[in-house]
Amino acid sequence: MRVKVLGTRPAPNTIRDIFSRVVRVHTPVITVQRREIPYWQERGWIREGNCFTGMYQTPHASFHGWIEEKLFGHLEFRLYNPSREIRNHSHWVCFAPRGEEWYMVHMARRPKDVSSGILTIERLISEAFE
Amino acid sequence: MKRLSIVVAGTGQIRDLEIQPGTSAADILHQLNLADYLLSRGPNEPFFASSESVYDKVKDGEKLFASTKAEVGLLVCA
Repeated sequence: MRVKVLGTRPAPNTIRDIFSRVVRVHTPVITVQRREIPYWQERGWIREGNCFTGMYQTPHASFHGWIEEKLFGHLEFRLYNPSREIRNHSHWVCFAPRGEEWYMVHMARRPKDVSSGILTIERLISEAFE
Repeated sequence: MKRLSIVVAGTGQIRDLEIQPGTSAADILHQLNLADYLLSRGPNEPFFASSESVYDKVKDGEKLFASTKAEVGLLVCA
């Protein structure tokens, strides 16, 4: 007899870990699909015809917004009831009253899409609060 | 190398890319054929300057936004 079993003892944890990784049965990988939607949609804005309604959202504050897509792709951005911080911002002169606490935000350089405009106004709101 | 996902604001389309150290915002926008866009980490973050190295400022796998240039203002408004 070339081999004689003298006894058995548990393998060290490190060896058992390595072994368990090798023999583990892998379950199929689930690929989570990314949502590829425009920023306005991702932020919860709703489109009805050529108008968009939603909130300009920042960590500091949120404001009701209204956007109208006019002829030739011209976009008009409105913001409801701007706060004291916005009214004290150097860009306050760019807000034109449109009645009932709605203000049109004038764009010196117009965004080419709704999402870029929302991002621009959200950035301005953040600036006003900083 | 770092991997980035660039969300094109108007369409929501996501473009995946890998960048090397020293890659600037302009390099990325040029590669994606987004000449009239600006790059940022989100609405509450400033835009990357054209020549600024993006590599040092982002984490591997991070999502950035590309949005068209826009500015609130009037002629009399700075």
